[in-house]
Amino acid sequence: MSSVPASLLTGFTYVMESFMIASPPVKSADEELVALARDGDHKAFEKLVERHNQKAYRIAFGFARDREEAKDLSQDAFLKAFMNLKKFDGRSGFYTWFYRILVNVCLDYKRRRGRRTDEEFNEAVENQLDPNHGIAPTVALDEQVLASELSRKVGVALEALPPKQRTAFILKNHQGLSIKEIAEVMQTAEGTVKVHIHRAISALRQTLAELA
Amino acid sequence: MTAKESAKSAACAQLEQDLVLLHYGELVGAEKMQVAAHVEGCPVCADYLKELADLLPKTVLTDEPPHVFWQDYNRELRQKMANLAEGGPWWRKLISKPWSMPVLATSAVVALALTFTFGNGFWRNRDVPPPVDEAILEVLPMAENLDFFRNLEVLDALELLELMGEENKGAA
Repeated sequence: MSSVPASLLTGFTYVMESFMIASPPVKSADEELVALARDGDHKAFEKLVERHNQKAYRIAFGFARDREEAKDLSQDAFLKAFMNLKKFDGRSGFYTWFYRILVNVCLDYKRRRGRRTDEEFNEAVENQLDPNHGIAPTVALDEQVLASELSRKVGVALEALPPKQRTAFILKNHQGLSIKEIAEVMQTAEGTVKVHIHRAISALRQTLAELA
Repeated sequence: MTAKESAKSAACAQLEQDLVLLHYGELVGAEKMQVAAHVEGCPVCADYLKELADLLPKTVLTDEPPHVFWQDYNRELRQKMANLAEGGPWWRKLISKPWSMPVLATSAVVALALTFTFGNGFWRNRDVPPPVDEAILEVLPMAENLDFFRNLEVLDALELLELMGEENKGAA
């Protein structure tokens, strides 16, 4: 029995692979769901929500520092995305486009609301430290008090930041997005994002030192 | 502070942004090695980096809602999406119909016309006397001298009688 030389087999395989029609790039799960949702499939959009709701909530919470407000803001962002899905052109990923909407919703809310009073900050922070709210119920009382005070000061300091610095800082520090991702969400250059983050941190250090 | 120390401090100030990027792991390759090497030999920058590592995590207020929160969250969102799909509140549904604007406009015009037609003088302030016609004002003084007008009538009648008398004489 004659055996085909290995080198011939390898060459044959190489030729066949080079002539094979490349299969179309695999669509991401998000893109498939977006395509279905644009055709009116509500279930597809609900799946998109399930994939992104926790991250969206955390971003909104970074801005609002209050559970109910964060819930409302993230839901508003999802509704806006739902209403404007036909305008999504697919040039960026769905999450980039959606997080842009979410950030704008959060910033609009802050602009309308203005700065919170110290009492509102204290109440929001105390709610978060309530054992029924699901945060660290086993932390000692004095640590809770210190944490509450620091959180209040941080909230004041964050509110004092200009919107773009606050956005860049929250997305980087709280959410761990990369500089590149933040630049896509904010539709600006990566160098600009770096400057915003640096200035935000400088301002926070100064404000927290003044509040100490 | 000596000139050397000032220059070093200024250089460190310029490196702050790179130190922030180093803290967040955004520096790579040669740039990362260069900054890391500087930090090893610079206590100011090392302290700054340590301060970042200490402070920045504390600025994050986390929240981990319970499972029931997410059930309510998804249910509420589904409800809001369903409301949107239905077109929202009744007034929005009404104005979205193609015939609604012409009907509303026509109704408004008819209402205005009826108001002006039947409501003429309705909203007049009754404490204020109605405006008097200017023609009446001109005639009023004369109307007060009715005797004068009666005398004029008599004179007209006398003239007529004289004319009639002259005609009769001519005929005779």
